[in-house]
Amino acid sequence: MQFHSFQTRLLVFVLGLLVLVQSSVFFAVNKANINNARVQIDEALEITAGVFKKSINDRTQRLLEKARLLSGDFAFKQAYATSEHGTILSALENHRIRIGSDWMMLISLTNNVIADTLHPDLHGVTFSLPELIKNVMESEYGETSSIEFVDGIPYQMVVVPLFTPDPSAWIIIGFVIDATFAAELQELTKSHVSIVSGRPGDSLSLVASTLANNLQTTLSNTLSAVSWEINKSIPLRMDSADYVSLVTPLWNDKDNSIIAVLQRSLDEAMQPYMRLQVILIVIFVSGLALSLVGGVLIARTVTRPVQILARHAHKIEEGDYTHYVAIKQKDELGELAESFNYMVKGLAERDRVRNLLGKVVSPAIAEELLSKEIKLGGEEREVTILFSDIRNFTTLSERQSPQRLLTLLNTYLTKIGEVVEANGGVVDKYIGDALMALFGAPLNHDDDATRAVNTAMGMHKTLGGLNVDFEQQGLPKLNIGIGINTSVVVVGNMGSNTRLNYTVIGDGVNLASRLEGLTKKYGVGVIVSESTKADTAGFLFRELDRVYVKGKTEAHTIFEPVAKEGELGHADLEALDRYHEALKQYREQNWDLARKHFLALQAKSPGDKIYQIYLGRIEKFIKAPPGSEWDGTFTHNEK
Amino acid sequence: MSKLQKWFLVIFVLGSSWISPLVNSATLVVSVVDDNDKKVRDAVVYAEAVKSEQVVDAENKKSIIDQRDKEFIEYVTPVRLGTAVYFPNNDNIRHHVYSFSPAKKFEIPLYAGTPADPIVFDKPGVAVLGCNIHDWMSAYVFVSKTPYFLVTDADGRATIKNLPSGDYDVQVWHPKLKGSGKATNQRISVGKDGSISLSFVVKLKRLWSPRRAPAMSVGGY
Ligand SMILES: [Cu+2]
Repeated sequence: MQFHSFQTRLLVFVLGLLVLVQSSVFFAVNKANINNARVQIDEALEITAGVFKKSINDRTQRLLEKARLLSGDFAFKQAYATSEHGTILSALENHRIRIGSDWMMLISLTNNVIADTLHPDLHGVTFSLPELIKNVMESEYGETSSIEFVDGIPYQMVVVPLFTPDPSAWIIIGFVIDATFAAELQELTKSHVSIVSGRPGDSLSLVASTLANNLQTTLSNTLSAVSWEINKSIPLRMDSADYVSLVTPLWNDKDNSIIAVLQRSLDEAMQPYMRLQVILIVIFVSGLALSLVGGVLIARTVTRPVQILARHAHKIEEGDYTHYVAIKQKDELGELAESFNYMVKGLAERDRVRNLLGKVVSPAIAEELLSKEIKLGGEEREVTILFSDIRNFTTLSERQSPQRLLTLLNTYLTKIGEVVEANGGVVDKYIGDALMALFGAPLNHDDDATRAVNTAMGMHKTLGGLNVDFEQQGLPKLNIGIGINTSVVVVGNMGSNTRLNYTVIGDGVNLASRLEGLTKKYGVGVIVSESTKADTAGFLFRELDRVYVKGKTEAHTIFEPVAKEGELGHADLEALDRYHEALKQYREQNWDLARKHFLALQAKSPGDKIYQIYLGRIEKFIKAPPGSEWDGTFTHNEK
Repeated sequence: MSKLQKWFLVIFVLGSSWISPLVNSATLVVSVVDDNDKKVRDAVVYAEAVKSEQVVDAENKKSIIDQRDKEFIEYVTPVRLGTAVYFPNNDNIRHHVYSFSPAKKFEIPLYAGTPADPIVFDKPGVAVLGCNIHDWMSAYVFVSKTPYFLVTDADGRATIKNLPSGDYDVQVWHPKLKGSGKATNQRISVGKDGSISLSFVVKLKRLWSPRRAPAMSVGGY
């Protein structure tokens, strides 16, 4: 499934790239966001500390304003002028309720308690916070404010003079610092506010807080454990939640013994960034999904046509040219499909031509013709040419109807043609009942001569079988002669430009034909030339004669392939040797000795025409000796 | 100093010189500075005869503390014991003068014009005057046993003329004076005509007072 894997590869690449880019962007943006968020939270908290400070100052101012109202109240002055403790105390209490404060006191200019709403019985004793009076004495307008503990409870307090109309006493107004106080400040600062008493490094105790109860104890423990500085934001982890925290003095006294801890939940502050993160993830995932769908769709436009083309290519491989690819894309693949269709058309055409050609010429020649550029002219090559012919065909044809004759001939030619092709030869042409086969052109093998001899033997064997059939069908038996020669000839396309014929020409062709013609004379099935014998391996040959072939001035030694080596029995081999001895004596004109041998051979196989031929010649030569010049060559005068 | 007050003073001084025209008398020239060598105005300088033989004679003694532009005028008014002080209101709004001082406790509830009955200061000491509806308004009435007293001017000077011969304890009082006037005591001896110069260095304390309301666009002045 390589197409599938192409799609997979494309998707992996596209998605991989997308994931890489997107995740890089995501992580970079996310990191920047979180860093930015932390910085902003820190900054926001510092600003909050400013707001906190201002809130405290505003509160102090409001308290002072309330106190001033009282210090100018005439009724109170009148009450004060009575010098009666009870009257003064009740007037003080009345005013305390009026302005909604938690505590009021009147202190004399000599630092004695005149009246105290928290301790109604207390008067005439020295005031317990002389520092406060000292501060107010040193102030510009005779007013001061502070945070002080009274009976262990912290109060924000202001001090103003009682004017009658000269300052005659100090009015102290106190507001308790409690959860309500913290809640008011939380509203203003939008942060958790915790009031803690204690110095850095000391054990701290929580005074009031807007935190949940369980976190309140955690806070003082956590804050005691870490080192912190005034107005520097620090991260505090309380009950597995992170709080950005900032310690700010509640009051600008000398030793910061009472502090405010402003806190914001990191998670809450990070919420806008978390929303951004979610948006980023949604964009990332939807981008991935879109890319996946888009990638698959795009990949399909490639893989589907390719799959179709592959299917069609497979059909063509099986020889089915009937299908056309229907891809109507106007892109490279569309072009490819169109080209593919043209190619199929071309292949179908070529196949038809090849089939036809194979019927007209040998498939091997057809292949040769189709594979090369066809041109006139040829090349010189060593080729073994085989000629076979039906003996007495003319006589045969006279006795048979043309229809039966043609059937007979076609059956015969088909069968022996198959033998040729089985041995790697090529049927060059049929000339009536004759067949010309080539070994070594257009295809050549190392053992073309052997193949030719083998073919000849095979043709005779095939014919033996055919003849049995023919006899059964009432047809005449066929007898064939085969001539084989190996020679350098010209092979190639011959004829005109419009009509070519692949063939071989040369003396060698003619010799093969002459040798075929001689088979009848010598009474043998096959005659091969000396050159063929020389190239043939694995066969035993009988030297038939040395002859001048008609029209030839050159002498040729001709041979009959007897059998494959090792196939002959002892007697036959002895006979073959004796024959060659007889032939030797014959050529040396030892006529009597030669005759003796031939006669002995003839006695064993009387049907062998060759012995008859030589015995006849010996008789003639005895009567008319050929002379000392004779080299043993025989000249055939008639065909 | 307002012209009116100067005019009264002239009458006082002339009056005292007329009482014993044949006795030797001297002029006491007093200058008051604070410990920063700054001239102190509104300081009351008073001389008491060591052998007090003076008769308290406050019959028909009258004084005025005006209210103008929501301020008392003068800021410091020394009066002889038994003096009747009038509080004419020259503003077109009412005032409510009061004093919780032991020297003279009184209250003139919201009034306009000049109240028919004056306030008679019949105990020696200092009465701090305020106005119920204007917190910043304040004034001081110094009720003197001796007829020899004056208030320092802008130069911190006071000149008491026709001081009869005899020994005197001269003291200074000021609203911001730290401690009591007795601490400033200087004894002088008046024998023949002439002039005695005295200089006082006083310690003043910080005295907070309610801030005056800013001027309003309607009413007021
Ligand atoms: Cu007034």
